[in-house]
This record gives sequence, C-alpha cells and structure tokens, in this order.
Amino acid sequence: MTGDVFAPLALAALQGVLLLGTAPLLAGTMRRTKARLQGRRGPALVQPYRDLAKWWWKRPVESSASGPMARHAPAIVLGAIVVAALLVPLIAVRPPLAGWGDLFVVVGLLAAARFILALSALDAGSAFGGMGSSRDVAISALAEPGLVLALAGAALAAGSSDLGAISAFGLATGVGLLGPAHLLAAAAFAIVMIAETGHQPVDNPDTHLELTMIHEGMLLESAGRSLALLVYASELKLVLLAALFSAVFLPFGAASDIAPLPILAGTTVGLVKVFAVGQGLALLDATMTKARILALPDLLGLASLLALTGLGARILLTP
Amino acid sequence: MIAADHQTVPAAVGAWLWVAAVVALGVAAAAPLAGRRPALAASILSTIAGALVLGFGVVVLADGATYTGTWGQVLGLAPVAVRYDGLSAVFLVALGASSTAASLTVTGRRGRSTLEASAYPLFLLSMLLVLGARDAFSFLLAWELMALLSAILVIGLRPTRAVVSAGFLYLAMTHVATAAMLVAFGLLTGASGGQVEFAAWRTASPSLAPLVRDAVFALVFVGFGTKAGTLPFHAWLPRAHPVAPSHVSALMSGVMIKTGIYGLVRILVDVLGGGPDWWGVVILVAGASSAVLGVLYALMQHDLKRLLAFHSIENIGIILLGLGAAMVLAANHLAALASMALAAALFHSVNHAVFKSLLFLGAGAVLSATGIRDLNRLGGLARVMPLTALAFGIGAAAISGLPPLNGFASEWLVFQGLVGTAGTAPVPPLARMTAAIAIGALALTSALAVACFVKATGVTFLGLPRSSAAAEATDVPRPTRAAVMGLAAACIGLGLAAGSAVEALRRVAATLMPAGTSVTVSTAVAIPSVTAGPSGGPATTYAALAIGLGLSVAVAIGLVALRRAGRTRRVDTWTCGIAPQPAFQYNATSFAKPIRLFFRRVLLPEREVHVEYHPGTAFPVAMRYRSEVTLVLEDWVFRPAHELSIRFAEFARRLQGGALQLYLAYTVAAVFVLLLWAR
Repeated sequence: MTGDVFAPLALAALQGVLLLGTAPLLAGTMRRTKARLQGRRGPALVQPYRDLAKWWWKRPVESSASGPMARHAPAIVLGAIVVAALLVPLIAVRPPLAGWGDLFVVVGLLAAARFILALSALDAGSAFGGMGSSRDVAISALAEPGLVLALAGAALAAGSSDLGAISAFGLATGVGLLGPAHLLAAAAFAIVMIAETGHQPVDNPDTHLELTMIHEGMLLESAGRSLALLVYASELKLVLLAALFSAVFLPFGAASDIAPLPILAGTTVGLVKVFAVGQGLALLDATMTKARILALPDLLGLASLLALTGLGARILLTP
Repeated sequence: MIAADHQTVPAAVGAWLWVAAVVALGVAAAAPLAGRRPALAASILSTIAGALVLGFGVVVLADGATYTGTWGQVLGLAPVAVRYDGLSAVFLVALGASSTAASLTVTGRRGRSTLEASAYPLFLLSMLLVLGARDAFSFLLAWELMALLSAILVIGLRPTRAVVSAGFLYLAMTHVATAAMLVAFGLLTGASGGQVEFAAWRTASPSLAPLVRDAVFALVFVGFGTKAGTLPFHAWLPRAHPVAPSHVSALMSGVMIKTGIYGLVRILVDVLGGGPDWWGVVILVAGASSAVLGVLYALMQHDLKRLLAFHSIENIGIILLGLGAAMVLAANHLAALASMALAAALFHSVNHAVFKSLLFLGAGAVLSATGIRDLNRLGGLARVMPLTALAFGIGAAAISGLPPLNGFASEWLVFQGLVGTAGTAPVPPLARMTAAIAIGALALTSALAVACFVKATGVTFLGLPRSSAAAEATDVPRPTRAAVMGLAAACIGLGLAAGSAVEALRRVAATLMPAGTSVTVSTAVAIPSVTAGPSGGPATTYAALAIGLGLSVAVAIGLVALRRAGRTRRVDTWTCGIAPQPAFQYNATSFAKPIRLFFRRVLLPEREVHVEYHPGTAFPVAMRYRSEVTLVLEDWVFRPAHELSIRFAEFARRLQGGALQLYLAYTVAAVFVLLLWAR
C-alpha cells in the first residue's frame, strides 16, 4: 500500500540526487580527460567541488553599477535549471517530476535561465558582459530550432511530447536506432548540445581571453556565492542535456519498472551514458580549435536542417 | 438594449455591464467638450468602462450565454445589430484588460487635447461594437469607425510630416483591406439570397460553390490579414503604431490588430466552417514568415516603440500558426485536436493583448520620464523607476515565451497544435511537413524574442545611463505604475491559471468546430495544468501551477543562500584599469550585431564608418557609424506598388476634369452601360 506511493518518490529522489550531485564530478572528469589528451596531468577529479566550496565561503563583491537584477539572477538561473533537470528521466523512464512538464517545458526553462543570465550580464555596465550576453543569445537563437526539431521528431514517433512517454516508447520499440529519422535527429541534437553547453568549436570553456569569451564573459562580474551558483548551474545544464540525449536517443538500460535490480542497472547505465557524452565533449575540446563566430550559422544551420530532414523522413516513411 | 438568451442572474448582470460600459464610454467621449477638468473625467470613465468590458467578457465566458440587441436605423439604411457569444467574449477580455490599464495611465496627465480625449473613448466603443456586430452592415460600420478613429489618434495630435505619411499609409492600406472584405461580404450576401446576417451566411455556406468559397477565403485573408498586420500586408503597422501616443499604441497593438484575428476566426471557422487543407497551409506559411521576419526586424530596431511594433507582427504570426494548425486539423476531421489548436490561437491573442499593452505602456513611461525613444540614449532606468522596470521585465519574459508566464503557456499549446498536425496520420504529407517547418520557425522565433527582449530590457533599464536625459529621469506618476504592475500581475496570473483559461477557451473553440471523429485529448489532471495529447499518444502535461511553485521554491532557496553570504563589498566594474564610462557598454545596435551578421542574407545590412584622424597621425579624433538593414518587402514590393498607384492616380486625375458637364456625361454613359448590361 504505502509502497505504491513511496517507491516512485524514492526513485524521484534518487534521480534528483544523482543529477544534482554528479554535475561537478562530470565537469571534473571532462577537465581530466582534456588535460590528459593535451599531455598535462590536470586537476583532481573533485576540483570543481573544491572551487564551489571556495566561492561559497568568500565575501561577496558586487559592482557599484549593478543592482537587484545582478543580485537575484544567480538564484533564478539555478532554480530554472534545477527544475528543468528534474523533468528529464535518467535512470528510469519516469522523470523525477513526472507529469509536470514535457520537452517544451525543459526547453522553455533553459530559455528562461538564459534570459535572466544574459540580462544580469548587462547590469554592471561592462563591455565584456554585453559581449558575452549578445553572443550567447545569438548563438542560442541559432541552436534552438535544431534542438526543438530533433526532440519533436522523437515526439512524433512516440505520439507525445512527454519525455517519460518518449523514453518508454524508445525502450519498448528499440526506437528504430538505425532508422534515418532517428540518426539524423541524434546528430542534430549532438551539434546543438556543443553550442548549448559552450564547448569547442563554439566556445572555449577554459578561456578568460576577453575577446573570445561567451559564457565566461557573462560571469565576469560575479563573485562569491553568486559565482558558485552560476558555475554550478552551467555544470548542471551539461548533465541535463547529456541525460536528455540519452533519454531520447539512447534509452537503453533505463528502468521501466520499479524493482531493485532494474533500478541498479538503470543507475549504472545512466551514469555511464552521461559520462560518455561528457568524454565526447572533452575530446572535442582537446582536439578542435574555436571556429570563427561567423562560421557558426553554417554549423548550427546544418543541425536544424539535419533535424528537419529527420522529421521529413519520419513523415514520409511512417504513415 | 441588449438581452441574454436565457434568464439567469449572471446573464442579467452581463447585460447591465455592457450597457454601463457603453454609457460610460459615451459620457467619456462627450466630457472633454464641457466641464472644468474634462480630460480627467474622460480618462476615469474610460478606465471604468474598460473594467466593465472585462467583467462582461468574463461573465460571457463563464456563463456561456449569448447576448443580442438591435437598435435604430443608421442613415435610414439598416439597424445596428449585435450578438456577443463566446468568441466575442475572448476578445472582449483582451479589450477590457488592455483598455483599463491604458486608460489608467492617462488619468492625471495634463495637456491632453480635446480631440484625442474625445476620440479615444469612441475608439474603444467602436472596438466593442466590432466584436459584437452580427451582420455585414453593422460590422462594416463599426470597422470603418474603428479605422478612422484610430487614424485620427495616430495623425491628429502631432501632425508632423513623418506622422502624416505614416497615418496616410495606414489609412490607404486599411481601406484596400476594407474593399477586399466588402467584396467577400458581397459574395456571401449574394450566395445567401441577399441576407446580410452572419447567421444566414452560416446556413448557406455548405451550398457555396468551392470556387466562391476559395475567393471568399482569399479576400477575407487579405482584408483581415492587413488589419492583423501579417506578412505580406504588414507595412503600415511598424510605421503607424510607434507614432501614436503610447496608450493608443497599447490598444492598437494589443487589441485593434486582434480584431483582424477575430474576423478571420469568425468568417473562416464560424461562418464557413473551415475549408480545404490548403487554407490552413497558407495561414501556416503566413504565420511562420510573419513570426520569424517580425522578430528579426524587431531585433534590428533601436527605437523602443518601433521594436515593439515589429513584435506585434511576430505575435500575430504565432497566433496564425495556431489558427492554421486548427484549420488543417479541422479539414481532416480531427475535431478535438483542432479545437485545442484554436484555443491556443485564442489564448495567445489574449496573452499578447496583456503583455503588449504592458510593454507599450512601459515604453510610454520611459518616454514620459526621459523624452527618449532611442534605446542607444537610455540605460540605468531601473534605479529611478524600479517598479516599472520590474513590470517591463515580467512583460518581456512573458512575450519571450518563458515559463511560468502566460506567453509560454500559449506558445506551448501552439507547439502542441503543430506537433499534432505534423504527427497525425490523416493529415496529408505536405501539410504535415509545413507544420514541421513551422515547429522550427516557432522555436527560432522564441529564441530570437529572448535575444530581442534581453536587448530592449537590458539597454533601457540596466547598466549606466547613456545620456543626461536618462541620468536625470524621475519616476512616472502612480496611476502609470499601477497600470503596468496590474498587467504584470495578469501575465503571472494567466500563466499560472493556464489550465482553467485553456479549458474555457477550448469550450469556446469546440462550439465553433464542426463535429468530427475525435482523438481523445486527456484532461484528467489534478493540478491545474494544460494538457494535450497530440497524435493520440499518451497525454502531455504542462502543470503550470506546479512548475511555478517548484520554481519559486528553488529560487527562494538560492536567494536565502545569497543573502546569508555576508556583507557585500562594492567596487567599480573592472574595465581594464580605467574608470568605467557609459560608452563602454554594449548598446542596442552592438547587441544585435551577431544576429545582424548571422542573418545578413535576409537582412541585407548596410554599414558606413567615417573616421577622422589627427592630421598626420594614425590617432582617430572622431568616428561616425551608421548601420541600416533593408526591409526587403518594403523596398521591393510596397514602394513599387505605391509608385504604381500614384501613377494610376495621376491618370485618374485626368478623368476628373472638374467640369460639371463632364461628370454629367459620365453619369449618362454609366446609365447607358447599365441599361445595355441589364437588358
């Protein structure tokens, strides 16, 4: 009796803790991989946790030009990404906040986080904040059609835009893994993920060279806990997108019912998938150079067209 | 005056609300001509009338009654006849909310001209009549009044050269549109045996020849599409809206262009009962191109009100995406999905009225505080007008389609309508593919809207002031603050209560849809939420209230953490070692530069840089920069059309010799031709 209520709650809590807790670790492993590929030893795997702790205890510093916008933004940005992350299934087909929202809500919450962060970057009146903000919203505008079209293709196949339903459908039918519609959408999503998480060749997450910063430029005027929340939010966003990728395009291994063994398997497989996606991005970081910003429309336009072709294939090939 | 179709207490209340609103508007229009503080009385009465109209709309939606009334003989021709039903009520809610707030901002404003103070309530009255007119005569009468009064409000106050030219373009285009509607109404009247009542047209519509129906569709689309400002009939909108006083801009953008949407739904869905697939596909294409190009051109503006005017084109596009999806789905007998998509279009119409009025009134507040509309001379206004800045920010987030606000809820439902169209088997592949492209277009649109409103909000209210006028601004009077805060609360409220709002709108939409084989659309969710089930798959939910609460909790935790961080040290922004200057900031033009370059093949930007150097050195002393984008349709379609019509007018002038004999000769010739023809 109580198990019927308790088990889904426990599963939701487990997924939530896993998503929220491993975000800095994923960043740590990616930095390690990148360092190794470049012939360095790299920082400890737990360095991102140490950074967050360091900022947490620092005395806050604020620009004298900025006001309530910059002060409240970190909480709103992180809040939106936390809620979005809890809408994405990871170890089971059922997301932690099942029934609260679908893929469009996840995309909307990410847009809300971007809106607030980009606005707050304009608050201090610095050129670099404006530079980062203006580039970030422009690149996201190019990425968004590819993101939504890739996910919409999966929604068409499953007959619903609910992420749990899409994941369950993929698991039940094998998603037609080698079908053109699926492959094209997955490729489009992968390209978009690079842009959305700010990795090479779109943005260099390690740069602090003023003229090339995008995401870092927006954080330049933040310090202390504000910086901690914003950095954690971007680490969490990466886990979110990796989980979204595996839920929609590689749903294998996710637990479809609540029992100890499937949950255990789902946890293991889920973590492996998320970390594998992260390693892929680290590989790109280590091996690619940053593209000219004017070359980005070609790359991201390609993603949108791949996704649209995938949708076309789905419409033409399935009655 | 006006009577409900059944005798209940709410119905009686509704009738009285309508009568009271009409009386208030009538007195408000007469007040400026007499009395000591005439403009004040007029604006207070308009505010009350707005609230009454809002109340009337809500009563009609909640109670489901219809109200009819017939009075007088206008010009001895025909009586004015009205019938308010659920569809009217949706737009009445938009009119009520928008006009209450807009009228509130002018209370206490000094120096309103008698002409404007008197024409404004009549403009509201004309929209109230347009939304209720039940036959062609009353409709065209109210429609023409609305067009003329709004033109007076655009031109009448500051008849400078630019304003008059914008106003005349508006008048010319609106009359071409009325001409198209007139022909369409003539065809419908002819087909129903000379009856001008919409109800008679509805009865006759199944027996209409397909060619006549298609002609009516084309004419109605041109006519109402021009009023709505959809591409390619939008040229008047970004010129006329910004030059009107801000409270009038709010109503024109928030409500008046929506009467075009109302007309499309009334004639195409209600009277004609929908049409073949391609009608919907045409509307989808027009919607997608209006949405994307509207927001792209908006991004390129640095005049705050012109930017907002281009956003109206974008949002009309989003509404048309919902309507187009509904028409494709209805053509394929998917009634439940179709009424969901139509509800999406109606919901976005109401939502857009709320946030666009808010944004225009906010722009008006900025204008009255600083005298500036040019974003590149604004900045830092959040310090002097914090509440207005907050309200504008909420409106900006709502129009950008961000959860948990109302704009997201209706865009979410439009997305569901498009996914349903693209994914449902009976819909033919071409229409499905159009819907798939429209999904991408809508995603692009909302991401570009985020970019545009980060720019508009950030450059206006954040950072350092870019001119002395912006630095010395003072806050706006209390009524204006109350108006924008009220509308901001409505953005949040409609967003969180999206579930109930959509249920009410879906009931309205379902009454307009012909019954068909239905895909079940699950609605059984405990938390107030919006639910849709495209393609008959498992239900999809957006639990607006839950998302809103979840966000609030998460944000509150973050805020507590930030507050407990200790005493804040404040230092100047780091600008590489020199003192921060306002000119270091990105401004509206530089903020949009990446997008201007990304979309250069569409926007065709021109750029001109002049640098003057210190004689004999490489050190610049002065620099001038100019950047313009090309409005392709304006330059390549409208200007040639304009020149052609001027040349035709010159030819026509030769026929108009001015001699009485000549005109009598024309009359004789005309009679002769008619006799020959009627023989």
